[in-house]
Amino acid sequence: MTIDISVLIGGEAGQGIQTVGLLMTRTCHRAGLYVMAVNDFESRIRGGHSFIQLRISDRPVQGPTRKLHMVAALDERTYGLHQSELTEGGLVLIPKDHADTMTQHHRCKTVDFEGVAKKAGSSILANTVAAGVCLSLLGAPSDLFENVLKSTFNQLEEERLAQNIQAARYGYTAVEDETFRWSWRWAMASPKGRLIDGAQAAAFGALAGDCRFSAFYPMSPATGIIQHLVDMAQTVPLVIEQAEDEIAAVNMIIGASFAGVRSMTATSGGGFSLMTEGLGLAAITETPIVIVNAQRPGPATGLPTRTAQADLQFVIHASQDEFPRFVFAPGTPFEAFSVTARAFELSERFQVPVIILMDQYLSDSLFVAEESFEAPETVATYTAADDPEAPSGYRRYALTDSGISPRALPCKGSTLVKVCSDEHDEEGHITEDADIRDAMVTKRFAKLSAMRKEIRPPEVIHADSEILLICWGSMRGAMTEAVRRLRAEGLSCGGVHIVDMWPFPDAAVGEILGKAGKFFVVEQNRSAQLGQLIRQQTGYQYTDAVLKYNGRPMCAGEITDTIKTKLR
Amino acid sequence: MVSTKDYHSDYPNHWCPGCGNFGILDAMKSALAGLDLPPEKVLIVSGIGQAAKTPHFLQCNYFHSLHGRALPIATGAKIANHLMTVLVSTGDGDCYGEGGNHFMHAIRRNIDVTVLAHNNRVYGLTKGQASPTSMDGMQTKMQPGGVIANPFNPLAAALSLGAGFVARGFSGEGGQLSSLIQAGIRHRGFALIDILQPCVSFNRVNTHKWYKDRIAPIEENHDETDLIAALRLALGTDDRIPTGIYHRRESPSYTDRIGKLNDKALTDHRYRPELLKALLTDGYL
Repeated sequence: MTIDISVLIGGEAGQGIQTVGLLMTRTCHRAGLYVMAVNDFESRIRGGHSFIQLRISDRPVQGPTRKLHMVAALDERTYGLHQSELTEGGLVLIPKDHADTMTQHHRCKTVDFEGVAKKAGSSILANTVAAGVCLSLLGAPSDLFENVLKSTFNQLEEERLAQNIQAARYGYTAVEDETFRWSWRWAMASPKGRLIDGAQAAAFGALAGDCRFSAFYPMSPATGIIQHLVDMAQTVPLVIEQAEDEIAAVNMIIGASFAGVRSMTATSGGGFSLMTEGLGLAAITETPIVIVNAQRPGPATGLPTRTAQADLQFVIHASQDEFPRFVFAPGTPFEAFSVTARAFELSERFQVPVIILMDQYLSDSLFVAEESFEAPETVATYTAADDPEAPSGYRRYALTDSGISPRALPCKGSTLVKVCSDEHDEEGHITEDADIRDAMVTKRFAKLSAMRKEIRPPEVIHADSEILLICWGSMRGAMTEAVRRLRAEGLSCGGVHIVDMWPFPDAAVGEILGKAGKFFVVEQNRSAQLGQLIRQQTGYQYTDAVLKYNGRPMCAGEITDTIKTKLR
Repeated sequence: MVSTKDYHSDYPNHWCPGCGNFGILDAMKSALAGLDLPPEKVLIVSGIGQAAKTPHFLQCNYFHSLHGRALPIATGAKIANHLMTVLVSTGDGDCYGEGGNHFMHAIRRNIDVTVLAHNNRVYGLTKGQASPTSMDGMQTKMQPGGVIANPFNPLAAALSLGAGFVARGFSGEGGQLSSLIQAGIRHRGFALIDILQPCVSFNRVNTHKWYKDRIAPIEENHDETDLIAALRLALGTDDRIPTGIYHRRESPSYTDRIGKLNDKALTDHRYRPELLKALLTDGYL
């Protein structure tokens, strides 16, 4: 039997919805199941509507689905908002003040979450009751859930743990007489891989890249990355400073990097807008920096807690004038880990800024990652305390064939390091000399040919298909599933996923697309930014685009529906 | 022994003849040499403006950055290697205008840098517009009817924000200025030295003579540790402009308060895979 069940738990902000989701996700993971959890919340502290949607399967899952099998509604709104997403025969658990009804389409069962919670000690435990109810109906052994509670609350006082266990037990007994038609026998297996969100994966990647300093200004949805770094900084030599604004944040990391430590910041599009001035400073001074842009819909404030992929063209071009940079867009937590580590390496080796495009969906969702997250044994350094050749004649911007000048660090030896945001000569002094200007632009761009060699080609599945779906960043999971479904329906369909966005892998993408009859871009923006980029860089025009920009993550079903409509 | 010659730079200087910056440059050289600090132990961070060009005319490590951004650059550099002596060479527009927010928060952090704010009350590099410290009513090409705003009072602002070292110098009093810079560098924590200077090209109001008629050293009985007395001096009630140390009181600097920087600079740590391995093992959500 194949398990593929989606459960939604919804309520008001402040009702502990994310905690329920986390507890249930952990329970599924511990049982050896594949699971993913998408967080959906509003930009507010209390009230409103938030939910977490779990997809539980015995096969790997990389994206959410639109069809729900079970909805636990901690408030009335949840039922109204998500009723239409229920699959036929689905089950809704609603609080007592709703009548117990049997609809044609789905079944409603009343559960007085808060009332049951009060019996366990406090109405605040309603979320744990809900988790107990859902897991009971899914068929999860109660002792498994209790063990998850014990490991989650192990640092808290015993009383709170006891109350939670009691709430979970009451949740289990509250639905003793109820059955869920898709429940299954939970055969315990060892956990698959690691349960991780994109934010934590990127933070691990930063440490694997030897990040020692980070400055930030809080901005959703980038705060998660920094929060993980702050937690990790208790054990590693990493200093994190909350700056007064994003302008200060980016300049602080430039200063720290100049002085000799690998540094990063994380923000969203609005903060990145403020950082573009600093981005140019890093470029002309050839100071390595890593910036994570966790995208959300804009412009301006937009939808603060939601997801988008609409900053691709922006970050490729951000800043006045031109300079080489790397832009990467990881599609999974493991890619977020490996790309972030690589970003630090490449930034320091080439002395260029690196931008990592993530988004709210990838940052905040929990995935099962089966890849091995390994700490590198060594991290290369490309700096020197002194110029060994001639400390007194050191030139920070010495012209070289590669465009990369030896990088000494200030106050580490007898070499004087001179850095200037004006156009400068080899020594680092201001110049307005036309020939030197030409030489410096040429020098900075000389890095491009070697940078291109670092660019990895896109990952392709079923390359020899008549139709290709092509996407970037976090659309990987939904696109991959859409390809599988379309093929199951007999369509000759393949998929392409790009992580290394800039310098654009022109030749590799051109070769892949040249063989395809039709190709569709799949993106979370309004104007098919990848499609435009492909046309610009390869000359190939996309057949059509599957686009979504309402701030919610794209599901495989939406892709397959749109493709089928467009092919009709 | 370090001498002022060690700080000599051959890079051609294009400041206007008679510019107050020359006096400040000389005072910096004598202060640094006087502290026996060799150029390779000194980092000067600057923003943009005529003042920000200063490090080109010295031998030292420098980061000539963006308009207004010298303080965050200096903050990052100091955190990365707090063993460096870090000076910030900036102007009234750079530090109090474009960089105003950074000024405020660098003081809050008490980051151990010495800020030399060349204050000529006008924009020089962009040719004569009003600055945050221009006097109310000062006429410029851009403000033909005169400035309609009160001048920013950097000393009072710094004092009210809790700055531990606040001083005022004058470009025409090199000896005093040199000793103020030395005291600022010796001070552990944020040090502001607002340096009044004429702009011979664009400021016809606050001329060398105008300053000479008004400046006077702070009286000897002034208690540097008395914040209220310092504020009274900074706010002023008459035409006199006191020069010298308004306020001096040390407290732990930003980098003093970060435990992991106590034993060595961040730059001196080495990557240790075992730390990340441990986190990757324990780090399940």
